Amino acid sequence: MEQLMEDLKRQIIEALNLKHLKPEDIGDEQPLFVEGLGLDSIDALELIVLLQQHYSIKMANPQDGPQIFKSVKTIAEYIRANQTT
Amino acid sequence: MAVYVKGIGNISPQKTWGDTTLLSSPLAYVGDRLSCVEPDYSQFVDIRQLRRMSRILKMGVAAGSMALQESGIKVPDGIITGTGYGCLEDTGIFLSKMVENNENALNPTPFIQSTHNTIGSQIALLLQCQGYNQTYTQSAFSFENALLDATLELKDNPAKSFLVGGIDEITDLSHTIQHRFGIFRDRSVSSLDLFNTSTDGTLNGEGASYFVLSGEKGENDTVCLDSVATFYKPGMQYLMDGIENFLESASLKTVDIDLLLIGKSGDKRFDSEAEEVSSRLFKSCAIGLFKHLSGEYPTASAFAFWLGARIIQTQHIPQAVIHRKATRPQRNILVYNPYFGEYHSLILLRSC
Repeated sequence: MEQLMEDLKRQIIEALNLKHLKPEDIGDEQPLFVEGLGLDSIDALELIVLLQQHYSIKMANPQDGPQIFKSVKTIAEYIRANQTT
Repeated sequence: MAVYVKGIGNISPQKTWGDTTLLSSPLAYVGDRLSCVEPDYSQFVDIRQLRRMSRILKMGVAAGSMALQESGIKVPDGIITGTGYGCLEDTGIFLSKMVENNENALNPTPFIQSTHNTIGSQIALLLQCQGYNQTYTQSAFSFENALLDATLELKDNPAKSFLVGGIDEITDLSHTIQHRFGIFRDRSVSSLDLFNTSTDGTLNGEGASYFVLSGEKGENDTVCLDSVATFYKPGMQYLMDGIENFLESASLKTVDIDLLLIGKSGDKRFDSEAEEVSSRLFKSCAIGLFKHLSGEYPTASAFAFWLGARIIQTQHIPQAVIHRKATRPQRNILVYNPYFGEYHSLILLRSC
């Protein structure tokens, strides 16, 4: 789980071009949207694509997005629960 | 109708922004590509908003900010942009990802920002400018059509102000593709020597130039746009007549032009028309060249607009531009910009 969260932080920084951040700057449970990293709706779409590209996971219900993308930890838990390989 | 230049912002392969004397130290480039000297964009845009912007968006936003700052106008009544190629970097990323990911799971950002009108839209978003917003993309007439639109808008509402620009970028992908067409020089030791050797090919260029234009003269305004005209594949005689008619409609003759800024590209296959125009119609006025400084690109005439306006403001023609020396003050400057032998445009700038 620790390794997965580290990988996710690197992938989020790259996908969202957050060049001013390092993986260690993002807390495991830090909110990603609004008051946390300040991500927005376009970033949410990028995160959906990230899950598809890196983990072959297609979100069944986009309405679950706010819960899944709450923090790096919640994304990692979602990946663990849904990854088939 | 005269349109007054209130503010100018220009990012180009030369140092054309900040506190510098007009082209006093021209930069020479080795190879066939001239890339922009870019400012620190965090001066113009919040770093969190910068992360999603491609280079052309950053250049456009910064050039627009410079022009607005110089004009003292915070939010214009409209934004009119001319771009031949649009947002090539995001287009390249979008298309490459489409191939790499087998048309699945495409990233939304490059797709959203791949359209030509992203530049004008991004400036409007940052300024919260909800006025008229238009983008023209007709190859080497893009900037000219943006100017024409602004002129027509200002004819109806002279008190308004418009941010009008010409912008294009080079990317690695676009340069590689264009190079295959054989339009750039194979070996170029110094871009400043572009006109010293007669050969096929020119130099690839890019730039972002924005101007704040208004129909009402302010007490500090010294430059106005008098008129614009375009000719597509005109033929020599039609072009000659067209230039004379263009000047006549501004109540001028060819002898009244103080400086002719010619967009010769250095490509011997296409420069003959420009040489004939200058030798037959403009025998006595000063002549300036600029594509060894800007490179060739669809909106290079916007660089010439910047250059002409600054020459009128400072009454100084930079040494690097002079092809034939000036003998009188610079009141009427004609920009004649041919583009690969097909597109020919005229922009008349006057002191006011």
